[in-house]
Amino acid sequence: MTHHESKAPVRVQQEDFSQDEEVLALRASSKRIGGIATFTGCARDYSEGREVTRISFDAYGSMALAEMNRLREEAITKFELLDARLVHRVGVVAAGEKIVFIAAGAEHRGPAFDACRWLIDELKQRVPIWKKEITPEGDEWVTQHP
Amino acid sequence: MIRVLFFGPVAERVQTREMQLEFTTGMTLHDVAARVGAQHPSVFGIVSFIAVNQNQVHDRQMALHDNDEIALMAKFSGG
Repeated sequence: MTHHESKAPVRVQQEDFSQDEEVLALRASSKRIGGIATFTGCARDYSEGREVTRISFDAYGSMALAEMNRLREEAITKFELLDARLVHRVGVVAAGEKIVFIAAGAEHRGPAFDACRWLIDELKQRVPIWKKEITPEGDEWVTQHP
Repeated sequence: MIRVLFFGPVAERVQTREMQLEFTTGMTLHDVAARVGAQHPSVFGIVSFIAVNQNQVHDRQMALHDNDEIALMAKFSGG
């Protein structure tokens, strides 16, 4: 990827992502950004008292992408962000690997932190993605979102 | 034709990711959910959200149109 090509700010993808690349793309969107808050969600190797070896994600791809784009636009308006990026992986993610990344850029840190927290909370409620934990004792779909 | 899509835990119970139903005038979301539920009673317990053409819909009496895409979905667990 050359310096001038940048990936879409909202993506649902199988492959891993680079936080550095995402933050760089966010910074490139505006020199007025004074604060960037990020959240990275990772696959835990332990859940509900069981060892988890990997997590398998299924998504309603077109709706997930549409909903994440709506979230980004809502966050930009609600928190007066200069830009925001959301990336979520699907397919199989091994324990310890990254799942989701949110970055919110604002003039000051307050709105950046608030928007980042809001975005991940709303994503869990509104985006049609499902996780199945794969454990040595069997697989189980996760239905709650703590 | 109405396309009915299933994902994650719902797809696992229905054992397919897609079903096609013939469209009839006056058909509602409730009719589609009832048809699927009659064939697969186990989905009733876990379907929490329904989308029509990628938008969440709460009114199950909503009239459908030919070629609509319906998704019967369990609670989300992304992130």
